[in-house]
Amino acid sequence: MSEIIAPGSPEGTLLQLREVVKVYDSGDVPFTALKGIDLDVHTGEFVGIIGKSGSGKTTLINMITGIDHPTSGQIIIDGTPVHRLGENDLARWRGRTIGVVFQFFQLLPTLTVLENIVLPMDFCHMWAPKERVERAMNLLEQVELADQANKLPAALSGGQQQRAAIARALANDPPILAADEPTGNLDSKTADAVFSLFERLVEHHKTIIMVTHDNDMANRVRRALHVSDGEIVEERVHRPRVGA
Amino acid sequence: MRFVRWRKVLRDLVSHRFRTVLVVLSIATGIFAVGVVMGGRAILLREFNAEFTASVPLNADFFTMPFGDQIVRRARAYPGVAEAMGRHTATLRYRWPGSDAPRSLLVVAIKDFHDVTVQRIVPEDVRSWPPRRDEVVLERAALQVGAYKIGDTLVVETRTGEKKTLTVSGFAHDINAVPAQFIGAETGYVSFETLPDISEAESYNELLVAMKGTDLTQREASLLAEDIKRDVLGNNGIAVLGVYVPKPGSHFLGDIFKAVSLLLLALGLLSLLLSGFLVVNTVSALIAQQVRQIGIMKAIGGRASQVTWMYLGLVGIYGTLAVVIGVPSAAWAGKRFIQYAAGVLNFRVSSYVPPDWVTALEVGVGLVVPLLAAIVPIRLGTRTSVVRALTDTGVDSTSFGHGIVDRALGLLRGLPRPVALSLRNTFLRKGRLLLTLTTLSLASAVVMSVFSVQASINQTTDDLDAWWRYDAQIRYPQPTAQAATERVVASTPGVTGVESWIGALATLDRPDGTTMEGIGLLGVPYNTTFIAPTVLAGRWLQAGDTDAIVVNTDARQAEATLDVGQRVTLEIGGEARVVRVVGLIKGQLSGPALYMDRAALAPLLPQAGITQTLVKMASSDSAAQRSVLDVAENRLEESGYRVASTRTQAELRDQIASELGILVAFLVIMAVLLAAVGVIGLTGTMTINVIESTREIGVMRAIGARHGSIYRIFITEGLVVGLMSWAIGTAAAYPMSYGLTALLSGAIGLPLSYRFSWTGVSSWLGIIAVISVMASALPAFRASQVSVRDAIAYE
Ligand SMILES: Nc1ncnc2c1ncn2[C@@H]1O[C@H](COP(=O)(O)OP(=O)(O)O)[C@@H](O)[C@H]1O
Ligand SMILES: [Mg+2]
Repeated sequence: MSEIIAPGSPEGTLLQLREVVKVYDSGDVPFTALKGIDLDVHTGEFVGIIGKSGSGKTTLINMITGIDHPTSGQIIIDGTPVHRLGENDLARWRGRTIGVVFQFFQLLPTLTVLENIVLPMDFCHMWAPKERVERAMNLLEQVELADQANKLPAALSGGQQQRAAIARALANDPPILAADEPTGNLDSKTADAVFSLFERLVEHHKTIIMVTHDNDMANRVRRALHVSDGEIVEERVHRPRVGA
Repeated sequence: MRFVRWRKVLRDLVSHRFRTVLVVLSIATGIFAVGVVMGGRAILLREFNAEFTASVPLNADFFTMPFGDQIVRRARAYPGVAEAMGRHTATLRYRWPGSDAPRSLLVVAIKDFHDVTVQRIVPEDVRSWPPRRDEVVLERAALQVGAYKIGDTLVVETRTGEKKTLTVSGFAHDINAVPAQFIGAETGYVSFETLPDISEAESYNELLVAMKGTDLTQREASLLAEDIKRDVLGNNGIAVLGVYVPKPGSHFLGDIFKAVSLLLLALGLLSLLLSGFLVVNTVSALIAQQVRQIGIMKAIGGRASQVTWMYLGLVGIYGTLAVVIGVPSAAWAGKRFIQYAAGVLNFRVSSYVPPDWVTALEVGVGLVVPLLAAIVPIRLGTRTSVVRALTDTGVDSTSFGHGIVDRALGLLRGLPRPVALSLRNTFLRKGRLLLTLTTLSLASAVVMSVFSVQASINQTTDDLDAWWRYDAQIRYPQPTAQAATERVVASTPGVTGVESWIGALATLDRPDGTTMEGIGLLGVPYNTTFIAPTVLAGRWLQAGDTDAIVVNTDARQAEATLDVGQRVTLEIGGEARVVRVVGLIKGQLSGPALYMDRAALAPLLPQAGITQTLVKMASSDSAAQRSVLDVAENRLEESGYRVASTRTQAELRDQIASELGILVAFLVIMAVLLAAVGVIGLTGTMTINVIESTREIGVMRAIGARHGSIYRIFITEGLVVGLMSWAIGTAAAYPMSYGLTALLSGAIGLPLSYRFSWTGVSSWLGIIAVISVMASALPAFRASQVSVRDAIAYE
């Protein structure tokens, strides 16, 4: 397969996956988790990935974030051929382009909430050092955590930790946010709040890709991809909800 | 806020206080061990050599008939001679209020204390220097034997049997004097004007010569000594009674020094290795714990190099803290160690500052080793793909051998659950286990080897006892009537048997024209029941042996021509005689000796009489024997027979044991240090294991496990590691202790018997069991205190 995709996004496409295959061969027999995924995502889209446990959702989002490498196929994001980047370039690129939100929040336990949010800016040398705290506080205000800024993550509830993690994902102002079951560990009310936060971000022109196995959530996103056995078997497009 | 990542590094240090203390302590222990041992060795050698060289050691020592300044001037002017001086020496018995028994004093009389050109003496704590008339300045090693004070009076018995009082007027240091504890005689310095008062002639009877040339060989020294003996002394009518030519540049304690220094070097290298292990172990465990966090940092934009620097920084801070703690404490302990060594080996220390390379080595162990040790795990950690890192559980399920361990454990199905679980935990952390086990096994092997060396030393002295079938020995300053002395001693209450020996000095004439002076030749009744010699080759003496000698292993080692079957020429009583070597017997730790039938030797000597009485006693108690001997000595003196020295074999045995004891003391220090490294290593490993199992513990607690069961799991784990290292250590201790004994034997030139110490093996089993339980109890206690919520939420 050597279908060449020109750099750049001709029709406003932010993210392109072409024939992405992922084979895990750490087990006894090689296991094909993704069987040739093709996907285009446009700027400002809110994409939900749904499917049963073990269907390949995490594997797919890891391909997009560059957290894991495809066995074959191409991934072009904002003109960058992600599948060709080495670990270091990938880290720097990811730090500026994609904010990652994990199911288990993954805040660093020994840093305060505020410091956790400054950390990506430090790593990627974004903003002048003096502006970083101010920016982090702004983000915390957006996620309504300004009053928790100087606490350690362990002192926060699950919902608060996840909102802090989202603020951290936004630290370098990346165009894309990728979240793997961000509400999986939250009660429905808290999950709702997090989801509303995502909706607000989309209104501010962020592109969001979110894995969920919650059908309710899936119904609220504009575009839902149904993954089964490593393939996208169905795609539903909803009209955007009016209001918020 | 500028460098949040560095803030994380500092926060990690502070919030994981227990871990920080442990890592710092581990590294500091390594620095400490290396610093004390390597620094101690370097300072010991430096200070000893500096003082020894500055003292102007002699190259030839002539014991002669009286001579005067004229001879000294000639000796000084003799080609090849750097310095020469005369002095008068005499060994006198004396009584001192601090001791019940008479003791021996080696009186050294010097004409001009401001012109001591060979074997310099340093006054240390003196009321007057030089000593005034009837005053004596003691060599300070006397203080190791008794609580001598300035103003004490020593009542000496002169050559003529008179009692004279000398007042102790101070203490001096003479690095060339044999310390009192080694020969059972104190050395004391007096002025020439005191000599007539103690019935000694105001003339010299010992000529000390220091030769020119820094790389003089013993052969060159011997040849020059021959020339001096002939040209300076003999040709001027001064008869020479004996010449002693030491190996140039070597101190009489040089062999012990060599042994101590070798031991320290061995220990230093071992502790370097062990502390290296310890540091590698601790740092890799630390990084292993951080894999998930490394993954998170990389997921939010941290580059591998940035993350690598963070962890190198962390390790660098640990190392710096360890250096700050370890270097001064090593300096402190090193000073104590040197002070101890300087006391027993009797030398002065002018500076406790270790050489720069030792400090560099300490910093290396504290900073370079941890950083090097950290690089591999950090690289592995930062190279781990983000997915792997994020799903990291602390146990690498793909690592080699996992299946084998599980299968092996499967065979042990009958075990109770907690025990099976701890075994599984123990084996799963294989890499760390291997390092901990290696460290602790090495430490165990060394500890048990030390027990065995101690046992071998005891075996050696036991062998001495087996050879000595008598209890005490009385020596006379000159040949003495046999029948009369035997009668006096035998009639002393408590004495059950006596035998008389003749001691003489012989000179061996080698075929090449050179000679070996002053070999001890003993006239012993061929059918003696007072010793039980171990014949290694040939035979013991028999009736009618007129020209036969038996040599001991020390003599054979010193002189190759003394081989069984050889004919050699010995100068005995001034005349050359050809004798046959008929047998080789095991040496008795008292130097080279030749044995001849007493009846054959007596007629060869110019003066009739015996020189020593061997005594068998009814009591086997050392103190009782000593008092019987004192009574015998008094009775001899009352009957007009002068005694040079008396000693019980028990005292001699103690003396030899204390000489070897120095080595054992160093070995014990070595063992304790290594055991400490091992214990800290085990505590570290257990702590890390507990930390890694925090989540597991939470789950177990949540499903109803009580504190006790959690305790038991970790303590079992620690115990398993401890017992395994004991088993491996025991296996290694056998060859190690054998080698160590052989090494010591070679270094001090004494044939040591070997014995493996099973007592040591069983004692260490007990000790290591207790240590392992303690090493795991502390972390286990901390673990059991963790609440279920915290445990499950951990990281
Ligand atoms: N590292 C791995 N090695 C082998 N198989 C894996 C690995 N990670 C995931 N899988 C398998 O790939 C499939 C998809 O996994 P994943 O993407 O995590 O599913 P989901 O997130 O939809 O639950 C599953 O069957 C899973 O067992
Ligand atoms: Mg998943």
